[in-house]
Amino acid sequence: MANSFMNSTETLSQLVSDSLLGEKFPIAKLISKIETENNLEFRESLFNEIQAQKPNAKDGLTIGITGTPGAGKSSLLGELCRLFLDFAPDKKMAIVAIDPSSTISGGSILGDRTRVTLPRRDTRIYFRSQPSQLELGGLNPYTYHVIRFLRKIFDYVFVETVGIGQNEISISLISDLSFLVMQPLGGDQVQFMKSGIMEVPEAFIINKCDEESLANSSYYMLETTLEFIKDILPDQTLPPIFKTSVVKKKGIEELLQYILTYSKRKDKNTETITQLMQWIRSEYGRFGIGLWETMESKSWNQAVRLRSLSGMSKYNYETEERKFVSLIQKKLIQ
Amino acid sequence: MSAEKKDYLLVDENGQGKPDKPWIFRTYAGHTNAKASNELYRKNLSKGQTGLSIAFDLPTQCGYSSDHEVSRPEIGKVGVPINSLEDFRILFDQIPIEEMNTSMTINGTSMWLLSLYVALAEERGVPLEKLNGTTQNDLIKEYLARGTYIYPPKDSMKIIVDMYEYCLHNIPKWNPSNICSYHLQEAGATPVQELSFALATAIAVLDAIKERNCFTADEFEQCVGRISFFVNAGIRFVEEMCKMRAFTEMWEEITRERYGVKNAKYRVFRYGVQVNSLGLTEEQPENNAWRILIEALGVTLSRNARCRALQLPAWNEALSLPRPWDQQWSLRLQQVLAYETDLLEYPDIFEGSKVIESKVKALKEEAKLEIQKILDMGGALVAIENGYMKSQLVKSQTERLSKINSNELVIVGKNKWTDGIKSPLMTDSDGGIFKVDPKSAEQTLGVLAEAKTRRNAELAKKSLEDLKQAAKEGKNLMPYSIACAKALVTTGEWADALREVYGEYNPPTGVEGQKLFLSDDKVATVRGKVDAFTKAHGHRPKIVVGKPGLDGHSNGAEMIAVSAKHSGFDVIYSGIRLSPEEIVQSAVEENANVIGLSILSGSHKEIAKQLFDELAHYKANIPVVIGGIIPESDFEELKKMGIREIFTPKDYDLMSIMNKIIDIISTEPVLV
Repeated sequence: MANSFMNSTETLSQLVSDSLLGEKFPIAKLISKIETENNLEFRESLFNEIQAQKPNAKDGLTIGITGTPGAGKSSLLGELCRLFLDFAPDKKMAIVAIDPSSTISGGSILGDRTRVTLPRRDTRIYFRSQPSQLELGGLNPYTYHVIRFLRKIFDYVFVETVGIGQNEISISLISDLSFLVMQPLGGDQVQFMKSGIMEVPEAFIINKCDEESLANSSYYMLETTLEFIKDILPDQTLPPIFKTSVVKKKGIEELLQYILTYSKRKDKNTETITQLMQWIRSEYGRFGIGLWETMESKSWNQAVRLRSLSGMSKYNYETEERKFVSLIQKKLIQ
Repeated sequence: MSAEKKDYLLVDENGQGKPDKPWIFRTYAGHTNAKASNELYRKNLSKGQTGLSIAFDLPTQCGYSSDHEVSRPEIGKVGVPINSLEDFRILFDQIPIEEMNTSMTINGTSMWLLSLYVALAEERGVPLEKLNGTTQNDLIKEYLARGTYIYPPKDSMKIIVDMYEYCLHNIPKWNPSNICSYHLQEAGATPVQELSFALATAIAVLDAIKERNCFTADEFEQCVGRISFFVNAGIRFVEEMCKMRAFTEMWEEITRERYGVKNAKYRVFRYGVQVNSLGLTEEQPENNAWRILIEALGVTLSRNARCRALQLPAWNEALSLPRPWDQQWSLRLQQVLAYETDLLEYPDIFEGSKVIESKVKALKEEAKLEIQKILDMGGALVAIENGYMKSQLVKSQTERLSKINSNELVIVGKNKWTDGIKSPLMTDSDGGIFKVDPKSAEQTLGVLAEAKTRRNAELAKKSLEDLKQAAKEGKNLMPYSIACAKALVTTGEWADALREVYGEYNPPTGVEGQKLFLSDDKVATVRGKVDAFTKAHGHRPKIVVGKPGLDGHSNGAEMIAVSAKHSGFDVIYSGIRLSPEEIVQSAVEENANVIGLSILSGSHKEIAKQLFDELAHYKANIPVVIGGIIPESDFEELKKMGIREIFTPKDYDLMSIMNKIIDIISTEPVLV
């Protein structure tokens, strides 16, 4: 099954080596395979192959861009792409844009490409759309693995999602740097937003700042709000706030410079475990989590702590997933 | 004893019967190159046509010269290519422009074409106040339906206001813009949407003019009087006639109440018409002749709401571009209606009809609510930018197609009484269709190259610099454009200069969140096949719907996008005016299972070739299907190139189309 996607002339090894060069069609084919159900075996061979071919492959910075519909995320990302190609000629970027799906037919219209004009045949940039499989947006079950794959090829991986308040959390978990994009707001709206999602992103973007005065008043309102909750933020410092306008071409260069000079990578072991737990929860519910906690959590937690302290080896997601699968099979047989 | 006044007759001051003068007869025409179009116009004028209606080709409409790479497949296809003043000299050769009423269907580059016309007049010594005509210049409907916009809404509106200011002071008989509801109906608008969107557009134009404050109160009244409309007339001709009466009454109210226009003359709703093309069928195309006649009645029967100018499509428009004979046949219809019948002898024949009165009232009430909604949003420009109007049109169009698919809406020869004897009209040696000679583009390119070498290069460059500077400073651009015209600047250079200042606009596609209203057996069949595909491949089928080239009529592409989603596909649709290369790149990056192209401009062969070349570059063997106005005589060549399936207006049944597409991709080997 794992090898069914290859035809006689196209081996996994060939697809991987072409992908690592940034070739679009091979990358696209491998992503489709990652997006296929029951693909643990395939992922294992894919990541092993990458490891074998290029042990020191890239570890791209993941940037999450989320925000309410109409905040202008796609147009902003389009402008960021344009500048990126000018400002970072030796770097590569990928975009994964996630759109809501229809729950009736299961189909979707993925319209994010509309706003992003890409140069032709340029291997420095790659754009992929994904249906969310949820009417309201958020992350696709395969997004995490697609991103892990793209990180190996691209220096920067942007993930765009529609956020309505709940999904920001999941995108921030797989991003090194996540932005919440907002429109210039009135005061009561900021108050409303204060309740939940403010704590999550690393930085804020007030987009559509086409008019100076409205932009400034929104900026100060947001800053004041963040002051209130500063103490509960991870670093206990004010996160940066960017004011951008795609129409006036303002503030986007600053935003790009911030991204290009951002070096903090989140701990990948924590990320692996968190994503694994999310997968267990969605596949096996409380039963799975319970099993995970009672039987293995002790040693795993210890391992996470030890390994991240020593900073030596990393968890391999597929190995852990396989371990859990055999664990749960054993449990079910008992 | 004086003659008794007869209520049923139109009389002059002496009581003598005095019928109305007929409306202006127009034929929308232009093709191949300036020389060929000039010959056509002169022939039409000698046949009794009383006005010119110029069709421009897509590069001219979108602001590209013929020597630009995107222009090549489109030169002279849907209208005449105009690159510089030199082409206008050829186009109007031996035509006295001072006696013409010239209508130009031009929008994004309307200021440029008017500047060329002015430059030509000055060169011939024709006083500008003698020029008479219209530049279409309604960008709102371009964003919504027709797609030949260039600049963002606010900048486009600025250009429109520049033209009003210039024309009122220099070419008083020119209509600087023509608010179009025509294209809205083609894009699926209901009568209420046609009324409300068009009037909201007119309000946006007048509000912008008022804001500039460049006219005295008297001048502003005259300016309101110059607003004219271009309306559609559909097959439901009683309702359409009521729509026209509603338009007339509402415009009277808006100009009086919102703009305080005192002179009744300036409150008159002046309009021209092209009757509906949307309802014309490829099946049994001879029936279209009757449709066109009935639609013409809707805008001529009621004297109080009668059009000023009428142009009729040809019976074979759903098949291809009309031939000269087809256009002549449509012109004859107007002549019979105006000169043989007694229509023009009577006052308004519907006055006092309860049915008509209450129908008009109902339309007005609904339209007023909708206008208020748009004004509350911030006006027509905002309703463009936030996608509201576009999404409403896509919705209406989807509902209309759903009704045709379910036979709730009867279309003779299409979904009812489909068996018939083959039309003898189609058996001519040319197959009943017109084709542009591909070699004719050479003449256009020759004139362009010649003009470029002959002109004073310094002067051309300086005129362009001046134009850019004026745009940056927000000055009225008309004088600078006219200077460019005289300096033999080209269409592409003029448009690029302003692109540099304003940027290019990319409007919402309107398809997101749309739903289809179909749930019959056909849908179940297609969804079943989609599910089977999903099981076999581990993911849903993915289609890239592409609208390549400069043709902006996006209805077909939008309907396919919405239907594919309804069937369970993941759909990538990125709007209009994409190069075949961009469409292929999307399909490759997304690893799509199929590419669906929509092309109405007649350049399907050229575009298909570019597309397959690019697919070959990526070694991507993705199946391609194509839909649009494609003559059967081209099928074989397209299939040879690799096109898997061809859909024409005959294939109106959306689920049958989806069924064919899912069948094609289901037979592909399961790779990824």
